[in-house]
Amino acid sequence: MRKKLLALFLMGAMVTGILGGCGSGGNEKEVSGSSKSSSSPQESGSSTESSGVKDGVIVTMPASSEPAEGFDPAYGWGAGEHVHEPLIQSTLTVTTTDLKIDNDLATEYSVSEDGLTWTVKIRDDVKFTDGEKLTANDVAFTYNNCRDNSSVNDFTMLKEAVVVDDTTVEFHMNTPFAIWPYTMAVVGIVPEHAYDENYGQHPIGSGRYIMKQWDKGQQIIFEANPDYYGGEIKMKKLTVLFMEEDAALAAAIAGQVDVAHTAASYADQDVADYDLFKVATVDNRGFNLPASKAEEVDGLAIGNDVTSDLAIRRAINVGIDRDEMIENVLNGYGTPAYSVCDKLPWYNPDSEVKYNLDEAKQILEDGGWKEGSDGIREKDGVKAEFTIMFHPSDSVRQALAEDTANQLKELGIKVTTEGAGWDVAYDKAQSQALMWGWGAHTPMELYNIYHTTKDGQQAEYSPYSNEQVDQYMDEALRASNLEDSYGFWQKAQWDGTTGVVQDGDIPWIWLCNVDHLYFVKDGLQVAEQKIHPHGHGWSIVNNVDQWEWGN
Amino acid sequence: MVVIFVLVVGFLTGVALVGSFCYESARITDFSRKNLKPGIPYLFGTDWLGRDMLTRTLNGLSMSILIGLCAAIISAIIAFVLGVLAAVGGKKVDACITWLIDLIMGIPHILLLILISYGLGKGLKGVIIGVAVTHWTSLARVIRAEVLQLKESQYIKIAERLGHSKWKVAVKHMIPHLLPQFIVGLILLFPHAVLHEASITFLGFGLSPEQPAIGIILSESMKHLITGKWWLAVFPGAMLVLTVILFDVAGGVLRKIFDPSSAHE
Repeated sequence: MRKKLLALFLMGAMVTGILGGCGSGGNEKEVSGSSKSSSSPQESGSSTESSGVKDGVIVTMPASSEPAEGFDPAYGWGAGEHVHEPLIQSTLTVTTTDLKIDNDLATEYSVSEDGLTWTVKIRDDVKFTDGEKLTANDVAFTYNNCRDNSSVNDFTMLKEAVVVDDTTVEFHMNTPFAIWPYTMAVVGIVPEHAYDENYGQHPIGSGRYIMKQWDKGQQIIFEANPDYYGGEIKMKKLTVLFMEEDAALAAAIAGQVDVAHTAASYADQDVADYDLFKVATVDNRGFNLPASKAEEVDGLAIGNDVTSDLAIRRAINVGIDRDEMIENVLNGYGTPAYSVCDKLPWYNPDSEVKYNLDEAKQILEDGGWKEGSDGIREKDGVKAEFTIMFHPSDSVRQALAEDTANQLKELGIKVTTEGAGWDVAYDKAQSQALMWGWGAHTPMELYNIYHTTKDGQQAEYSPYSNEQVDQYMDEALRASNLEDSYGFWQKAQWDGTTGVVQDGDIPWIWLCNVDHLYFVKDGLQVAEQKIHPHGHGWSIVNNVDQWEWGN
Repeated sequence: MVVIFVLVVGFLTGVALVGSFCYESARITDFSRKNLKPGIPYLFGTDWLGRDMLTRTLNGLSMSILIGLCAAIISAIIAFVLGVLAAVGGKKVDACITWLIDLIMGIPHILLLILISYGLGKGLKGVIIGVAVTHWTSLARVIRAEVLQLKESQYIKIAERLGHSKWKVAVKHMIPHLLPQFIVGLILLFPHAVLHEASITFLGFGLSPEQPAIGIILSESMKHLITGKWWLAVFPGAMLVLTVILFDVAGGVLRKIFDPSSAHE
């Protein structure tokens, strides 16, 4: 009996422990509120306060932003799934705030009539941080290396990079690729003389920053490159801490960081001495609707009998109240999305639709989907129901899926939600809807989503094919200059008769662009941001060299 | 004693039944009522999707109890069969089975559970089989020891000398003796099964996230604790602890009913 009492007592103690734990979560705020004025920098001493002027900054990022393969462009640094400026290395071109192209290392570039040869002249005054000069050799080496080894990006259009002289390099292409300048904007140039398989761990570049220290799983410290050829670097030191959003919020509450990434669900928190900073993005969320009839190919289910019906897809697109969704799920921190590339130069404004529930219902009625006794529509014995999958640990995607299900119930379409990890999601998305996140600084994204694969009948991520759309995108890649190319990309979305928008085939439904949110310490002036692509990580520090501490 | 037992069992069955009826309502999301503090009509508050935490908790508990029931019964049966086999099957069989018991007990419990659940593709199937095939070992040991002891007792030996078949001796003399041990062991498996189900689900190797399981509820709540939404973790956590304690109490009471002499220990 005594043992039993002891056990119960211990259990009681545990429960109190849990309660106590939560209590302290709330208390932290008050404690930190009083110790706020003397913000304590991390032990790593990241805020250098030499000569009284603060010129260092500590930024948090999600743990998934830490480059697993190191800082090697061939393995995804800068040029990977989430594009951003590589900081340590310089690139040939850069994207401007309106996502057009400007020069960095390049002084001029041109493309031949047939689109198969790009000639790029580079600056003559650039040195790597080990003192060696950056020449066309390094450029050619970098690109040939990427072509041979890139595990993340597609370089199959590049045949060979050839050195003409010290400051001129030629890219010989297998196929015309009009948007090559966008690739040149993310590939950091590595030094041929200092490149080996361990380069990613000890990168040397000619960029604005030098990587000083990397404590894996915790932090990376960058220091300004004193010999940088470009403008003045105002922020001398950058420390990136890797942590999840709840930890980042705690770090901000404790005053330990200068910029803390955060999510919409935390945005209403009042953190003393910090302001919420909101960056517009093309970090969109949307779901695919398989546009072919259900069949089985090599044991894999492809297509879906409900979503392959055009009326269903059109009704969903016009019957979703995106503004309400953004209010519900993102607490208002987002903008409606109508395509994978909203606000970018290759976006076609015809993608936009106005929410109209009655119109949506009418489309379904006209399409032959009649309401059954249970409120779910039916056509030829097929019930209007499908599944939307979401990644299990992504609460925003889960909420979007749930809200979509709620909204589509009004239309008489039954949606069930299901968590699915990436191990199975890609295969399942061939026959079911999946909540995706896209958005990049290159029109290739349109190609990846809507163009049929080289050796297949359908697009890669969700069954869809339209010859006309394919053709426009092929023409876009063959265009002789970027401006023309933008026009073809726009036509691929909608040319007046066919495309991937509401009046076209609408094989993907785009819901919203998620604002990237940060808590920024008072006094820190974060320079103007270009539209962030997908990935709540490195984009914020694209121009960290231009940030400043005021008063 | 009996009253306590009936009350506890009644409560747990009640939770299991009520919970299984709110499966649909536990999944309803309604953004117009998100992040509400506990009060009326949402006694346990609501979460960031506007789901009612009371129905979610009840449903999660009922799922845990049912999984626990399934797993505990399978586990207990395995334990019984192997325990008896070890004791009566001769030296070689005994050696094999004790080796198996030692092997399974030697691997960290949660690790083995995760491996099995993951290997079977997670989800309900993975969890039930995972919990079932890892929890029988200690009960099997107890039963084996009990049978070994019984085999040496006078009345069994006399029964054998009198020419009763092995089968008859087992059914008539051994099983009645083993049954109380078995039932108590079965009930005491419950808390383990329930806690382990919740833990592997919490770690992401169990039920999938749209299910209202306790492990899911608790792991989701972690993200929201920092913003002061304590009710997401406290009520479901407390209910889980309560359930486990009640099972323990039920097992304890049952042991006293079957074996009154232990009350004086």
